[in-house]
Amino acid sequence: MILIGEDLNVMTGEISRVIKEREAGPIKECVAGQTKNGMDYLDVNVGPVKKDPQGTMEWIINTVQDVTDLPLSLDTTNPVAMEAGLEVCKKKALINSASGTTESRETMLPLAAKYSTDVVLSVINDAGLPADADERAASIMDSAAFANELGIPNENIWVDPVLLPIGVDQRQVTSYLEFIQMLQDLLPGARSTCGLSNLSYGAPRELKSLLNRTFLIMIGRYGQHSAIVSGFDQELIRLIRGEVPEIVELIYRAMEEEDLDLSALSQKELEYAKTTQVLMGKSLYSHSWLEV
Amino acid sequence: MALKGAEIMKMLPKTNCKECGYPTCFAFAMKLATGGANLEDCPHLDPQVRAQLEAAMAPPIKLVTIGAGENALAIGEEEVMFRHEKTFFHESGIAILISDKESESDIEKKLKRIKAFDFERIGQKLKIDLLALCFESGDKGKFEALVKKAYETTNFALILICEDTDVLFSAASLCADRKPLVYPITKDNTSAAIPKLKELGVPAGVKGQSIEALTSVTSELKDAGIEDMLLDPGSKNMLEGIRDQTLIRRAALKKGFRPLGYPTIAFPCFMYQDRFKETLAAAALMIKYAGIVVLSQAEAQFLLPLLVHRFNIYSDPRRPMTVEEKAYEIGNPGENSPVLISTNYALDYFIVSAAIEEANIPAYLCIKDTEGLGVMAAWTSGKFNGEAIAEFFEKYAMADKVKHRKLIIPGVAKKLVAELEEELPGWEIILGPLEGSDIPKFLSEEWKA
Amino acid sequence: MKYEPPLEKISVNIRETVLGQGEKSVKIGGENTLPFHSFEGSLPNSAGLALEVLDTQPENWAPSVLEPFEDVVSDPVKWAKKCVEVYGAEMLCLRLLSTDPMGKDRSPEEAAEITKKVTDAVDVPFIVWGTDMEDKDAQVLMQVARVCSGKNLLLGPVVKGNYEKIAKAALEHGHAVVAQASMDANLTKELNIALCKFFPPEKIVVDPTASALGYGLEYTFSIIEEIKQFGLVDKDKMMQMPILCDFGGDCWRTKEAKESREQGILWEAISGITFLLAGANLLVFRHPESLKLIKEMVI
Repeated sequence: MILIGEDLNVMTGEISRVIKEREAGPIKECVAGQTKNGMDYLDVNVGPVKKDPQGTMEWIINTVQDVTDLPLSLDTTNPVAMEAGLEVCKKKALINSASGTTESRETMLPLAAKYSTDVVLSVINDAGLPADADERAASIMDSAAFANELGIPNENIWVDPVLLPIGVDQRQVTSYLEFIQMLQDLLPGARSTCGLSNLSYGAPRELKSLLNRTFLIMIGRYGQHSAIVSGFDQELIRLIRGEVPEIVELIYRAMEEEDLDLSALSQKELEYAKTTQVLMGKSLYSHSWLEV
Repeated sequence: MALKGAEIMKMLPKTNCKECGYPTCFAFAMKLATGGANLEDCPHLDPQVRAQLEAAMAPPIKLVTIGAGENALAIGEEEVMFRHEKTFFHESGIAILISDKESESDIEKKLKRIKAFDFERIGQKLKIDLLALCFESGDKGKFEALVKKAYETTNFALILICEDTDVLFSAASLCADRKPLVYPITKDNTSAAIPKLKELGVPAGVKGQSIEALTSVTSELKDAGIEDMLLDPGSKNMLEGIRDQTLIRRAALKKGFRPLGYPTIAFPCFMYQDRFKETLAAAALMIKYAGIVVLSQAEAQFLLPLLVHRFNIYSDPRRPMTVEEKAYEIGNPGENSPVLISTNYALDYFIVSAAIEEANIPAYLCIKDTEGLGVMAAWTSGKFNGEAIAEFFEKYAMADKVKHRKLIIPGVAKKLVAELEEELPGWEIILGPLEGSDIPKFLSEEWKA
Repeated sequence: MKYEPPLEKISVNIRETVLGQGEKSVKIGGENTLPFHSFEGSLPNSAGLALEVLDTQPENWAPSVLEPFEDVVSDPVKWAKKCVEVYGAEMLCLRLLSTDPMGKDRSPEEAAEITKKVTDAVDVPFIVWGTDMEDKDAQVLMQVARVCSGKNLLLGPVVKGNYEKIAKAALEHGHAVVAQASMDANLTKELNIALCKFFPPEKIVVDPTASALGYGLEYTFSIIEEIKQFGLVDKDKMMQMPILCDFGGDCWRTKEAKESREQGILWEAISGITFLLAGANLLVFRHPESLKLIKEMVI
């Protein structure tokens, strides 16, 4: 599993301020920390960068590359900023992101073709977010065909099936699972990614990470290629790097067995088992899913 | 669609030859499942398998069209029992009953009222779809005169109701190009009706005393090559209607039972004398699957609630309902009236506009197109940020509409305050209450401009 | 092809909740099938239909909904009596509007005294409703629970922020509660789980918050339909509580309802029948005519 660290993000007020004031220290600290924790890519989320997109992007990418050798995922909705970033990236970058909407296809995908980069392509299209797995499939095939036409091979496309908060729409979570299993049959060679933390948006703070971690193991089993995650969630990193195999095994079992025997499990195991069941859609989600 | 992509996949050649234009057979199957591709595009499909697939992929409830031209009503092709499972696709048609026993002047009045019926609500036209013309006089001439009048002086789709099969088809031949629904086709007149139905090419309203009785008629018609039918299980009241309609849809959708795979028609007008009860039964049967409901009258105060109800039930729960972008004038606002802004997510609009009305303070309610996203989601995606709102203010010349410079924004949008202070210099940005229900109080207390 | 009625049997029941006491007590819920599906399951109790009574003079009511109560609106006791004796209401919903801290801000003690008087005056079961102000509702409903001990009132709304206080008082004094989570099945389940840690599930009624025809009705309709199916079809024990829809007031606030008496009554009655079809077990009406219509239709 390729892990993309998400912590360099303009949406967190501090980063927004230091970008404005061109203060490199906190950025370097954030980048170094995620690198040390074993991320494979780093996401650089600068938002729409309304003021001086070119200069800002150049400055931040260079600042980041001062302290890390990791490839970067460039996260902006501004195509001018995106191109400026691509110009200075030392490694094959990941454009984050394009979608199937006409506007996004036509601005972002040509950049991916021009710079031969990878590109995140979400299943969102002009009609909005597809309602189920079949609609996701239909949407991504259209967008991928468009990308192929531009000379972008499937291998450079990182499909984002779009993960919604489980507290908002549990069915969209099960649709995600259904879709990710069919992706290789739909677009052989295509990669995949998602914004993992979105899953637990709105969930109790202390339980967010449990949801995220469990889901990441689950989709990993179904062939998920990468995910955008917190570069500071040590437990998640350990789990995904195979350092806690018994938990991974347990999650796999909970995915498969209808009536998993919960009685013999430790408290921690029980939490993972129940979380898996609720993520599989076996019971209705509530914030207190661990209590029933 | 009846089949999921994965099920279709099982019957495809699985060679991934790409000749259909898709990278894999699976991709082709998924496209077939969502209606984006044709079976003909696969050159390697065994004809027998193709026939099987075609049959299996046919919608479990047939789409039937009544009427012609822009007033044609298409019903059927429903996919779910419950709205939240996906959506209900084809709105129930509303028909108004006119009997040939009614006096000429009454008929005239009724037609006039029906034609004049014209409501618009949040950009949606609410309308009557059909006239149901009923033979009760025993006088063929009278019935035909009524049919002619309806045919010539209106554009509505028509339903012809007549127990006398000869009169029924004679009347149908007067308006065959309008594709009227002929009713009732029963076990007693099926064989007489078949040649006429084929000749005129009009849809058949099949009536049975029970669901079981329906199936023999529909099978007979199907065998004769007639597939445009509507079902009436003869329900006598709302409760029977709910039962019969539920069983018919369930048999079609969940059992794939083809003899019941057609849309339905219900007659609240014959179930209840009382106008209120008739309307309520129609409302219930719109939820519980009737493709058409026939009503006895066309008075606005009975129809408007029903039309709004239909609009509600047939809205797509998968897509946020939206309202048109504009600066809505609520009450009769003037240059000192408050200015509020919200998203075009319909529920936001309803709550805020209702609250302003309740406060009884005329106001400008600015509704920004956010593609149906609520306040926070729209802010995140840049559709409801300082810049977007400033553009809206420019476009709708809000600064010319009011003398004051105060803008009330949704209470959840704290992050917007600073953005707006930058983008709308000179305006005071006021954070509204968190709950819509607190708006009336908020307005009456805070608004002293 | 032979037609076999495609009947579906459900092996679990919605919980049965008893409201009020004595001969006039009312049972709601208890069904093991979807709404109106008596052809394939059992619906032992018809839906509870309640009429509203306010503890204070109504403001801004449309004339056509004020008219039935015009002679009694100044006195909640008379109002309650008229609902029962003249309009045949089998249940009432007493709204303690005057406790609103932004309005008259009556004390919990005064509110409880009024509640006592009104509930003593007629013997039908009562829903007693606060003002959607978490803290004040807690104080008021706790006091009502104490003063009306043993009456088996249905107290609400009980929300995430005040459920412990109100439900504990209800438990101690033998009342039921309405657990309210706005238009969200997940949060409905959440609150039920929290309540059930100390409160008997058969004394909980859930309120997903209703809305009026044309003003969000379809959202409530689908949420209720889903909640009912989570309970019956998916057998989720935390979703098997009877469902309350309090919508009469919302209907009569719409401009369409205010336009004409007939339209107003239909606005309320269509909303009502829609909620019943979704699976509501208890409805609160404002106009006696709408209630009567629904009652005659569903029996």
